[in-house]
Amino acid sequence: MNFEIQETRILLRHAEDPKLATIEGYRSYGGYETLQRALKDMEPDEIVNELEESGLRGRGGAGFSMGKKVSFLPRGEQTKYLCCNADESEPGAFKDRELMQRNPHQLIEGIAIASYAAGAGHAFIFIRGEYEAQADVLDRAIAEAYDAGFLGEDILGSGFDLELVVYRGAGAYICGEETALLDALEGKRGNPRLKPPFPAVQGLYGQPTLINNVETLSNVSHIVANGAEWFRSFGTEQSPGTKVVSVSGRVRRPGNYEVQLGVPTGGLVMDLAGGPPGDHKVKAFYPGGSSSPVLTPEGLDLPYSFEAMAEAGSMLGSGSIIVADDTVSIPHMALRTARFYHHESCGKCTPCREGTNWTVKMLERVVRGEATPMELDIITSVQDNIVGHCLCVLGDSMAMPVSAMVRKFRDEFEQVIAEAALESVPVTGGNGNGAPTEVPALTEMLERDPLQGRPVPAGEQRVGAEGDDA
Amino acid sequence: MPRTQPNRITLTIDGREIEADEGTMLVDAAREGDVEIPVFCYEPKLGEPVGACRMCLVEIEGIPKLQTSCSTPVRDGMVVHTRTDQVKEAQESVVEFLLVNHPLDCPVCDKGGECPLQDISMGWGPDRNRMVDQKRHFEKPVPLSPLVAIDRERCILCYRCVRFSQEVSEDEQLQLLERGDATFVGTFDDRPYIAPFQGNITELCPVGALTSYTYRFRARPWDIEQGGSVCTLCPSQCNVSFTVRDEQVARVLARDNPEVDDGWLCDKGRYAFQAMYADDRVLGPEVTSDGHSTPASWQEAEETAAEGLASAGSRTAILVGDASNEEGYLLQRILRQALGSGDIDSRRGPGVDGDAALKLADPAISAQTSDIDTADLVIVVGTDPIQSAPSFDLRVRKAVRRNGTALAVASDRPGALEGGATEVVRFPPGGAPAFLEELAGKVKRGRAKTGLAGLIADSEQTVIVWGERIVQGAGGRAAVEALVELSEAAGLADQEGSGLIGIPDNANGRGLREVGCLPDAGPGLSPTGPGRDAGAIREGLESGELEAVVLFGVDPIRDLPDPEGWRRALEAAGHVVAFSLARNESTEFADVLLPLESHAEKDGTVTHPDGRIQRVRPSARRPGEVRPVWQVLTELAAMLGSSTGITSTPEALEAVASAVPFYAGLTDSEIGGRGVRWQERPAAKDLGTPSPDLTLYATAPGPFSPLGSGAAGLEADEASVLEPASGVGRSHTDSSGGTTPPSSVSDLPTPKDGQLLLGTYPNLWADQVVESSPALRFLVPAQRLEISGPDATRLGLSTGDEVSVRSGEESVNARVAVRAAMPEGACFLIEGTPADNGNRVAGEDGGPTLVEIGPPEVRLELVTSGGGPEGDEAA
Repeated sequence: MNFEIQETRILLRHAEDPKLATIEGYRSYGGYETLQRALKDMEPDEIVNELEESGLRGRGGAGFSMGKKVSFLPRGEQTKYLCCNADESEPGAFKDRELMQRNPHQLIEGIAIASYAAGAGHAFIFIRGEYEAQADVLDRAIAEAYDAGFLGEDILGSGFDLELVVYRGAGAYICGEETALLDALEGKRGNPRLKPPFPAVQGLYGQPTLINNVETLSNVSHIVANGAEWFRSFGTEQSPGTKVVSVSGRVRRPGNYEVQLGVPTGGLVMDLAGGPPGDHKVKAFYPGGSSSPVLTPEGLDLPYSFEAMAEAGSMLGSGSIIVADDTVSIPHMALRTARFYHHESCGKCTPCREGTNWTVKMLERVVRGEATPMELDIITSVQDNIVGHCLCVLGDSMAMPVSAMVRKFRDEFEQVIAEAALESVPVTGGNGNGAPTEVPALTEMLERDPLQGRPVPAGEQRVGAEGDDA
Repeated sequence: MPRTQPNRITLTIDGREIEADEGTMLVDAAREGDVEIPVFCYEPKLGEPVGACRMCLVEIEGIPKLQTSCSTPVRDGMVVHTRTDQVKEAQESVVEFLLVNHPLDCPVCDKGGECPLQDISMGWGPDRNRMVDQKRHFEKPVPLSPLVAIDRERCILCYRCVRFSQEVSEDEQLQLLERGDATFVGTFDDRPYIAPFQGNITELCPVGALTSYTYRFRARPWDIEQGGSVCTLCPSQCNVSFTVRDEQVARVLARDNPEVDDGWLCDKGRYAFQAMYADDRVLGPEVTSDGHSTPASWQEAEETAAEGLASAGSRTAILVGDASNEEGYLLQRILRQALGSGDIDSRRGPGVDGDAALKLADPAISAQTSDIDTADLVIVVGTDPIQSAPSFDLRVRKAVRRNGTALAVASDRPGALEGGATEVVRFPPGGAPAFLEELAGKVKRGRAKTGLAGLIADSEQTVIVWGERIVQGAGGRAAVEALVELSEAAGLADQEGSGLIGIPDNANGRGLREVGCLPDAGPGLSPTGPGRDAGAIREGLESGELEAVVLFGVDPIRDLPDPEGWRRALEAAGHVVAFSLARNESTEFADVLLPLESHAEKDGTVTHPDGRIQRVRPSARRPGEVRPVWQVLTELAAMLGSSTGITSTPEALEAVASAVPFYAGLTDSEIGGRGVRWQERPAAKDLGTPSPDLTLYATAPGPFSPLGSGAAGLEADEASVLEPASGVGRSHTDSSGGTTPPSSVSDLPTPKDGQLLLGTYPNLWADQVVESSPALRFLVPAQRLEISGPDATRLGLSTGDEVSVRSGEESVNARVAVRAAMPEGACFLIEGTPADNGNRVAGEDGGPTLVEIGPPEVRLELVTSGGGPEGDEAA
């Protein structure tokens, strides 16, 4: 099948120019003109309307209309905040990194305009701790913007004040969840909050807060400059605009590609990214980051839009495609996915905390050959029990892809169990009475460290298998 | 903000129509309609719901996803399903998830039988377990603190204990560490969790993860009975439930009463029950003859006591400490009616006298405890609730945190509540009267826009929590006047939910005042001729003007100012009758020692600082020969020739109710389990009406004579015209009579070179019941001298140094604690410590005094176990 498509660069325009990251470079392409015009000629409500009409959907994963989000903020004189979510931690997603690194001022201008529209006097960029280089780029760019008078007090004589701060997170996936981000920003443990109240009503320090993704905010200056109509001329009815898509996994040219929403997914995978190396065939792919249910090769025909992916039972998410070809073992991929979410679960709500942990244990037995096909039913049932029952979407993020993999590739799971069972030498023998098996290295380790009150490491324990489990 | 009446709305849950207040959480509304929705993490006492356990998921029509009913406020017309397949599946899955890592060691778990996890697993869980993998393991149990053990394997991470620590007691020590399924509850760096309310977490825990060391493996739910009562270890009078096994108290639980304690209990209330079974408890009557105390029969002991008292006649005095209203009433009646004396006191120093108590008791300017919750402004003056009445500390914190109440703290010593205060005022020890006068003046002039006076002007509901000690000592009278003036100026009488709450020094201080345990007021605060107050009783005994003294639940050598003076006084006394729960230094001087009931054994009433009359009900067996004390008192009264006719506890209450006009008609059934504020009863209008009992006392022999009846009798100035009982001529008695002009801060002693102004304060843990409770012994404080940084620098002292604090002849040793926010030139010692009692160097009547700091005195301490009262003595 022929999947030839073209990139449409709006956000990544001029990205190849290294000077773009400096304020001179950015201004040489017309940067900050929109901010000046917005502050001079536009009322905040006009900007909100423009954003709402543009149909810009959040690029962080949920795909909620950005304009609506701004309009939910109460009007009036109270303290309001804007938070830019740059905690890009989803496996497969690396678009915000590139946007911040190559064009930080586009984001800063977007934040300034959005803050003006929302009436926020303080804005924060919450960036994941591992993005050190990008945080440095932002710090430099923000300093430049302050010097140029685009940030700070009385910006360009408009009377509008904005303080913008880069806050480096400590590196937890959960802090990308907007309310956990707020808690982390407040200096607390990064745990999601119960919603409602939504951040637009009661967010940072209990004040109305607008939280948007880097890519979403990077779009703002373009929409305000060119109008909603212009923006809607890209993409589909329900997914207007372009999207920077991170393609990774088993493809020849992994990287970020900016395309109009609605292009054939296969175009991204097979044409722009070059498809799997050699003669290998696509076996499955995550269309929207590791939290989206995997699609089989038929999914390559789907238009890459929010609505088409939802209809196919998956999601566009943050717009990150991870491709698995026929060299990839799906059960191992499922385990890898589950382990990530198990590791990143904050532990606040029951289904996610216990469900991710239990799923990992079951999948580990699957790949060790210590499971029965019947347990595949338990795995899917556990995923069903997680979905929709959690405080935030982290639990669902594991349950949906894992469940999709077990359901769509059940034969392969059964095959892996059977093969591994043949090869495996039991690791956890024991005498059948629950008596412990000596594992000398571990025993020694446990003796060395009294571990008082600390979790005992995973694996074989001094205490035998629990008799009351059955 | 006065309380608003919420709208009633109707919703449908599982097909039944349920009425509820708008905005109630769905889970509560369902309970009102007899539909139980299971919960683990939801506990409204802890504040906003967190929605962590996911146990309460329900289906709400019109919302596609299941919703947590703990966080969904009800709306009119809402249709909810709690038993559909979708909901059942969710509930079963949550229970299954919770059990994935729970050890299911119910047979050896203390919580077994009273465990929400067991109950909910039975009611809403799946009937089998599909989990065959290894569970997580922790070392267990490990001490979280000296009082609480934690079993992290049983923990279901419901967040309750952590939320309590963070958002209720605000000690912020408990944290969740690690994340995901490796999460565990702990403290920073594994430090022990030391906080005065920590026992509450064992009650909050919905599994057996947090258990009290005092109750671990002591009983099973089928071995025990619960008895509801009131804790009388401090003025908070928290409602408790005694867990009784084999007729002995094995555990104390909080008994939720939103009007009193909000369902919390401090660790003293929870763990000091051990003192009931300690070795120092007095288990039967004893009579001393030839210097030897020997067990005696009740009859012999009572006869000996009565004989001594009868022969002393009007030269008898009574000191009351911990007593119920009935006991207090009977004591003052014996004294006034049978012995013809008026020398009775229930206070630490001359403070709230009858006239002042009457003014301050005015229902119009009285607040109730729960008014704090909704107040715009709470002013805490001259008391640190964490030390004097701990549940008020939580109450005030709750108002600040949840209601946005502005808090003003005015005190001499920096207190625990100041962190959350909008306004902090510091005055020197003894400076409260001057402060109050100034504040009342400012509020009256009404021009202040800022500061405390500004806050008062802006507030539509103000509650003033004041400590009894600010009205003690030289400026006490002025302080009372200023308090009343301040309430008038601030218009508290006209504001709904505004008023004063006075924290007395004694647990039942208010009740004892109101039933007549004051030297100048009988039952109902009716003025009587002034008798001797505590200080005058001490002097009277020492000089021989008084012959006999009855000590009732008080250890003056420890609890009152001038311990040495008390020692001399008791030594000199011809006849000492001591009623006491436990042996102490004062009981050593007893000619007749009679045992008291503990608060788990007593039947009677007490009066909360806000006027709520509560019932103390017997739950446990009286050990040894201990008998109901009201009975003993009626027998004594009869022997002394004034039969009371009281033969049962309801009759004792009836006697109190008919003697105190504003308690009229009170019965046990009206008091019930939650108590009743007398201000809310019709009889409250009789505040100020003279007690009918006064006629009983009028016929009594001796120098004592009651004041005339009627309103005129209430005038303080007239009362002072009467000559005090012979020989009482101490200045403070005059000032409490109102003739001396109100003093101001200028009367405070001025420190000279190297001197500091000493104030003393009560410490929650400096109490004999704490020392007698093995679980709490680690909290018994050693004496410490709190001073400000500049003073410490000037004196060349730093934290931890050992010094002596000298006032006149007396001195105590203490370790220096340099504290920020201390007023310069002032210093503080703890009252009633087992060794180096701060009372020894306290000023007259416990007020401030000048002290000098020097090198520690070298003493040959008597070697005692656990620092008993003997440790105090210089050898």
